[in-house]
Amino acid sequence: MASQGSEEIAEQTEEAEATHDGDCLSISPAEEMPADGPGDGEPEQLLLPWDRFSAWLHCICVVGFDLELGQAVEVIYPHHSKLTEKEKMSICYLSFPDSNSGCLGDTQFCFRFRQAAGRKSSLGCFLDHFDRDAPVCLKRDQGHFYGYVYFRQVRDKTLKRGYFQKSLVLISKLPYVTFFHSLLKLIAPEYFEKQEPCLEAACNDIDRWPTPYPGKILSLPIMGVVMKLRIPTCYDKPGTSQLVQSTSSDSLVSVVLPTIHEVDLFRCFYPVFFHIQMLWELVLLGEALVVMAPSPAESSDTVLALVSCIAPLRYCSDFRPYFTIHDSEFKEYTTRTQAPPSVILGVTNPFFAKTLQHWPHIIRIGDMKQTEMAKQMKVKKLKNLKTLDSKPGVYTAYKPFLNKDDDIIKQLQKGVQQKRPSEAQNAILRRYFLELTQSFIIPLERYVASLMPLQKSISAWKSPPHLKPFVQEEFMKTLEKAGPQLTSRLKGDWIGLYRQFLKSPNFDGWFRNRRKEMIQKLEALHLEALCEEDLQQRIQKHTEVETVDLVLKLKDKLTQAEREKLPVGAGTLAKLQTHIDSIILSLPEDLQGILHKPATP
Amino acid sequence: MSLRELKVCLLGDTGVGKSSIVCRFVEDNFDPNINPTIGASFMTKTVQYQNEHHKFLIWDTAGQERFRALAPMYYRGSAAAIIVYDITKEESFLTLKNWVKELHQHGPPNIVVAIAGNKCDLTDSREVPEKDAKDYADSIHAIFVETSAKNAININEIFTEISQKIPLLVTSDSGLKGLKLRRDQSDLTRERACC
Repeated sequence: MASQGSEEIAEQTEEAEATHDGDCLSISPAEEMPADGPGDGEPEQLLLPWDRFSAWLHCICVVGFDLELGQAVEVIYPHHSKLTEKEKMSICYLSFPDSNSGCLGDTQFCFRFRQAAGRKSSLGCFLDHFDRDAPVCLKRDQGHFYGYVYFRQVRDKTLKRGYFQKSLVLISKLPYVTFFHSLLKLIAPEYFEKQEPCLEAACNDIDRWPTPYPGKILSLPIMGVVMKLRIPTCYDKPGTSQLVQSTSSDSLVSVVLPTIHEVDLFRCFYPVFFHIQMLWELVLLGEALVVMAPSPAESSDTVLALVSCIAPLRYCSDFRPYFTIHDSEFKEYTTRTQAPPSVILGVTNPFFAKTLQHWPHIIRIGDMKQTEMAKQMKVKKLKNLKTLDSKPGVYTAYKPFLNKDDDIIKQLQKGVQQKRPSEAQNAILRRYFLELTQSFIIPLERYVASLMPLQKSISAWKSPPHLKPFVQEEFMKTLEKAGPQLTSRLKGDWIGLYRQFLKSPNFDGWFRNRRKEMIQKLEALHLEALCEEDLQQRIQKHTEVETVDLVLKLKDKLTQAEREKLPVGAGTLAKLQTHIDSIILSLPEDLQGILHKPATP
Repeated sequence: MSLRELKVCLLGDTGVGKSSIVCRFVEDNFDPNINPTIGASFMTKTVQYQNEHHKFLIWDTAGQERFRALAPMYYRGSAAAIIVYDITKEESFLTLKNWVKELHQHGPPNIVVAIAGNKCDLTDSREVPEKDAKDYADSIHAIFVETSAKNAININEIFTEISQKIPLLVTSDSGLKGLKLRRDQSDLTRERACC
C-alpha cells in the first residue's frame, strides 16, 4: 500500500517537471525586476529552467538510515542533478553525526568536501560573473562543495530501531552559512512532515529567485515567507554592510537576514576565549589545527569561526567544518609519515584523539558551563591530551609572536558579568579581529602597491611593464617606519610573525590575487594609452603586413579585456573597437573581408 | 507615507483560475494556456490605499491535491485569503466551503476572507447561482465578487476591498515610520507640558 503511494508520487513528480519546463519560459520571475541580477542587458531572460536554482544550489539531498545499508542518499532533487558515487558517499557519512552522542531532536551543521575532478558546468561562466564583485571570502568555492545539514532524530516506536533519523542536506558552492541554515530552518521541518511535494515546491521557489548578485537587496520567496538579504561586495567598507530591518514585521510574512555568512564568533570562541589572539595567529599562519567537539554543530561552527577570524583575508588552505574517519582525505590528512598538513579540521569522533595525537595544535571544546570558563586560562601541554575525557582547552606548545592583549579579554569578561547580549559581544570580538588583521595587512598592501611600475613607464608601443618582484628583506625594511605599530598598540615580535606568514599558503593566496589584480590594472592602463594614440597616422608610416599585425594584436587585446573584465575606463573598449574598424577600412578590400570576420565563434 | 506588507494567499480547486487572477492583477495580462502551479508561485504588487502603501505579497497556491498539505505555510501569517471557485463548476464551490472551514479552524484569527467566483464571462455554463454564493459569503462575513480574469472584471476590486477591510495599524505594534513620527510628536508635546 505504502509503496504504491510513493510510486504514484514519483510519477506525478516527473509529470510536474515536464510542465514546469514550459512554465518557466512563459512566466516572468517572481520579484520585481530591480532586485534581479545585473540588469543592464545581461542575458537574464535567456536562463533555462533550473539555471536560477543552480546559481544557488547544486542539489538537495535526503539522507536516511537503512538497517541493512546504513546511511543512504534516498532522494536527490532536482532528479537530474549529478553527483559521483564518491561524492554521494561523502554526503552520506557527513550528513549524520559521527557517534550516537545524544543529538536528539533537531541539529544543524555544515560540512565541506572535495568535488570530484573533471566536472565541467556549462553554467560556469555565467556563475563566475556574480563572483566578480563578491569579497574573496564569499566567492564560489572552486574545488569543494559545502553541505548544509538539518538532521532530525526523534523516538519513533513504529520503526525497527525505535528512532526516526534523517537529514535534509543542501549542497552548494556558496559559503553563505547563515543564509543556508536559515533556509533549512524554513524548509526542513515542513519537509519531514509533508515529504516530497514540499521539496518540489521549495525547489520551484528557488528556481524563480533572482540570481545571487552581490550588492543588491534580494527578496527570496520560499515556503510562504520572503527572505530578504544582501550579499556583500568587495567594495563594501569592512565591518559595515549590515542589512537592518527598517520596519518590524511578522516573521511568518518576511524575514530580514542581517548577515548571510557570519557566525557568532563570541559564542563559538567562548569555551577558549582566553586564547583568541593565539588562535588568530595560528589561523593566519595556516598551522595544522584540529577542533575536537562533542557534536558536529559545535565542530562546524568553531571551524567556520576560526576561518573567518582573519577576514578580510581569505583562509587559503583546506578546512573541514566536520570531518569523519570515512572522509576520502582521511588517510592523506592523518598520516604520520609527513608533517601535519596546513588544514583546519573539526571532528567529533573520540577516535581522533588518538589518530591526531601528533598534531601540533588541538582545540578541545566540551559541554562547558560558564563557571568552568575561568579555569581555562592556561594553555595546556600536548602530552596531557591522551585520553578521551581530557578537559576542554587549547593544547599546544606554540609561543605566540605578539604579546597578549589583556584589554579585549577584560572587555569581554566584563560583558559576561554584565550579561551583555551575545550579539554585542560578537560585534566587539569581530571588530577586534578585523582591526588586528587590518593592522597586519596594511603594511603588506602598502609595500605591494609600491611594486607597481610608474604610470609614465607605460607606453602604447611597448608591452606593458612588469611588476617589480616582492623582495622579503625590502618589505621588512619598510616595517621600521610604516609597520603595524601605526595602527595597533600591540607589542611583540611582529617581524617574526611576518616572516612566518610569508611562508604560509595564506600569503601565497593573497599575493597571487593581488598580483593578478595589478597585472590587470597594468593591462588596462596600457589599453587606455593605446586608445589615446593616433593610430591612423601611425599606420601610414608602416607596411601593410605591419598594419595587419597591429589589427590582430588590437583584436586580441579587446577580447582579453572583455574576457577578463579588465578595469578600464568607461568607453575605452568602444573606442578601441572604433580604432580597429577604421584601420581595417583603410586596408585593401580583400583584406577587409578577412579581418572583419567576427573574432568570436 | 508608510509601506505595509500584506501577505495574501489564493486558495481553491485546481483550474478555477487562481494564477490567472494574480496574473491579471499584477501584470494585467491573460494567458489561456497557463500551466498548473507547482507548490505556490509568488508575486508582489504595491497599491496606494488612503495614507498607506499596501504591498501585497501574493502567494498563489497550487490547487492540485498533492500540494494540499502545504497550504498552511501560505495562509499562516496572511492578512487576507482569496478563495476562488469556478462559477461553471458546482464542485469547486464545495471545495471553497472546505477552505473556509479550514481557515476558520487553523488560519490566523483576523484573516480577511474574500470569495471570488471566477470565469463570470462564461454565463452559459453557469452552475453556481450568484445569489447562493453571495448569501453564503454574507453568512461568513466575507467579501464577495464574481470575477473574470480573462475579461479583467472585478480583479482590482477584490484587492481594493481587501485593503478596505484590513484593520488600520494600531500604534502598539509600531516600528513603521509614519506612525512613529506621530508618536514622537505626542511625546514632544507631553514633554513641553511638563516643563
